[in-house]
Amino acid sequence: MTPTLAWAVAGLGLVGLAVARRRTAIALVTLEALILAVASGEALPAAILAGRAALLGGLLFLTVRRTTEVRPLIPPASPLVRLSVGISLALALAWLVPSLGLTSRDAELAALALVAFGLVTTILHRSTLHQIAGIVTLENGVALAALAAPGGASLAIELGAAVDLVLVATVALVLHDRVFAAFGTSDATQLGSLRD
Amino acid sequence: MTSLALLLPLLPVLGALIVLVAPETQALAIGIAVAAVTTCVATVVAVSALLDPGRVDVAGPVLLDLPGAVMTGVAALVGLAAAIASPGYARDRPRRRAYVVKLLAFWAVLLALPLADNIGVAWVLVEASTAVSALLVAFGGTPRALEAAWKYLVLTTIGLALALLGIVIVSAGLGDSVGLAALDWDSLATTTRLLDHDAALVAYVLIIGGLAAKVGWAPAHNWLPDAHSQAPAPASALLSAVLLPEVLLVAWRTEVAFAPAIGGHAARAPFLIFGLASLVVAVPFLARAMPWKRLLAYSSLEHMGVVAIGIGAGSRLALIGAALHVVSHAVIKCVAFLAAIPLLAVQPDADSHPPGGIGRTGPRLGALLAVCLIALAGLPPSPLFASELLIAWGAVQGGQPWVAAALLFALALAFIGLAGSAIDIVAARTELSDPRPALAVVGPLAGVAAALAVALVVAAAYLPDSGVADAIVAALA
Repeated sequence: MTPTLAWAVAGLGLVGLAVARRRTAIALVTLEALILAVASGEALPAAILAGRAALLGGLLFLTVRRTTEVRPLIPPASPLVRLSVGISLALALAWLVPSLGLTSRDAELAALALVAFGLVTTILHRSTLHQIAGIVTLENGVALAALAAPGGASLAIELGAAVDLVLVATVALVLHDRVFAAFGTSDATQLGSLRD
Repeated sequence: MTSLALLLPLLPVLGALIVLVAPETQALAIGIAVAAVTTCVATVVAVSALLDPGRVDVAGPVLLDLPGAVMTGVAALVGLAAAIASPGYARDRPRRRAYVVKLLAFWAVLLALPLADNIGVAWVLVEASTAVSALLVAFGGTPRALEAAWKYLVLTTIGLALALLGIVIVSAGLGDSVGLAALDWDSLATTTRLLDHDAALVAYVLIIGGLAAKVGWAPAHNWLPDAHSQAPAPASALLSAVLLPEVLLVAWRTEVAFAPAIGGHAARAPFLIFGLASLVVAVPFLARAMPWKRLLAYSSLEHMGVVAIGIGAGSRLALIGAALHVVSHAVIKCVAFLAAIPLLAVQPDADSHPPGGIGRTGPRLGALLAVCLIALAGLPPSPLFASELLIAWGAVQGGQPWVAAALLFALALAFIGLAGSAIDIVAARTELSDPRPALAVVGPLAGVAAALAVALVVAAAYLPDSGVADAIVAALA
């Protein structure tokens, strides 16, 4: 994993945080995983990442086509605010977190940045699909860290994590469909009736 | 006998496949039959492990040890109870087949999790449990159920992603020696010493923080009351009585594995923080009139906090108390959640409003609800009284009297809240519209709670030197 590729993936995560269009966000997270697959340099991890990217990308694009919003879901925070929060969190993590033992500090910082961008995407977007894209970005950050680990992470864990992510994302898409059917929109702010 | 453990997760999966091809009208009956067979096998496995305690590497990343055997037994019994109670919930509902398949799939994961001899495999199973149980939480199909399932899925997945990052950091620190076996619990205790101290600390915080979101410890508890209150009652029983303590077991195993690398105090500190925070958050809600299952969910938050304090206190006695607490809580909470089925038949709006006056219309149901709440409140002879005593006593023994004092104070307040709720639910003349507890009952209950707290303090102060401790430890160990 070269520093350039690591930062390229992190850059895609940052762009994903700013965009409001669901299709663009999905394309970005899919591209992130595909770049990670190419950068892994080994056949099996690459196949796992590429398979996950293809499967998730396909499922997400199908869902977008099936659940068209009547009005665009404008996130409550402007792109500038989202970017500011995301970059601030990434910088804070870079400052706070010591060396993690990965092959390069660039990979560590890029992985932490992706985690930060994924978290902020999930929190600051209203669309349930954007929230799923945020989780996938976060998992891409973890995958980046795994690829940059000396000797790589255990293949069994990578495979299990990929299968679990696909499983969780599939369940999330099922719930997204039901939310859309119940409310006529996939606006997560509709899901706020359970309070004490 | 121990190799039968390999069968445990497979039997519910096989049952789910049978349900998929069988007529829908038979789904619930098949579910019960599968549950009965699985519970028999689980009982044999658990009893054999209890009779011959010690670590047995069954095969690959499958481990059977005493804590795992206890949790397997608990998972089996609660699963059987959930299956038997399921007709009461699902008999007249559509999609019974889908319900039974999801319940059995969830149960299969729960039966596998305590046997995982590897932090990576345990993570995969915990994440899988999220996916399957989120579908169960949403099964009711109402907007509120969807909301609960969405919150649960998103919050716990984020937490588990952070935990996975912690596991990756551990892998990275082990360098080229990494493989699945390097992440076995036993290996971890050795290999984490090879990690850089700061990296080990970051990994540990990420793993425990991530698991905290899944256990539902405060402040990562937002999903818990929603998911437990909206899920079908049998699924709520499994979520509260089995899933939460099983994830706690993973957290405890992680603490044991990391303690040599980061130090025992640092490893136990997050448990004390999460435990005390959970008690602080849960206790005020226990004093409010709220829907039955939601009240039980906050009680789960409280009790997971108590168990966390037991682990955080670190002494042997506190750990035994935590183990006893997990088992006792599981049994009582399972009955309490399943009691929601007859309760909703009597008061259909009890899933969204506080029930009231149940004892007037159904004395037996009222008595059952009251017994559940009083037992959860820890009034003797509830086994939770004994476990809370052991934990408080263990904290004193471990040189943390302030933790014991905070625990007892919170438990006394929780007792007031739950006992007040029990009185309202059983004996109130009308359904409650005022969310505040009746002031008239607070005074007497405060007196009882204070007496209880004093008894606990006296016992905790006196018993460590009395010789009774050694006898109990010998009996339980």
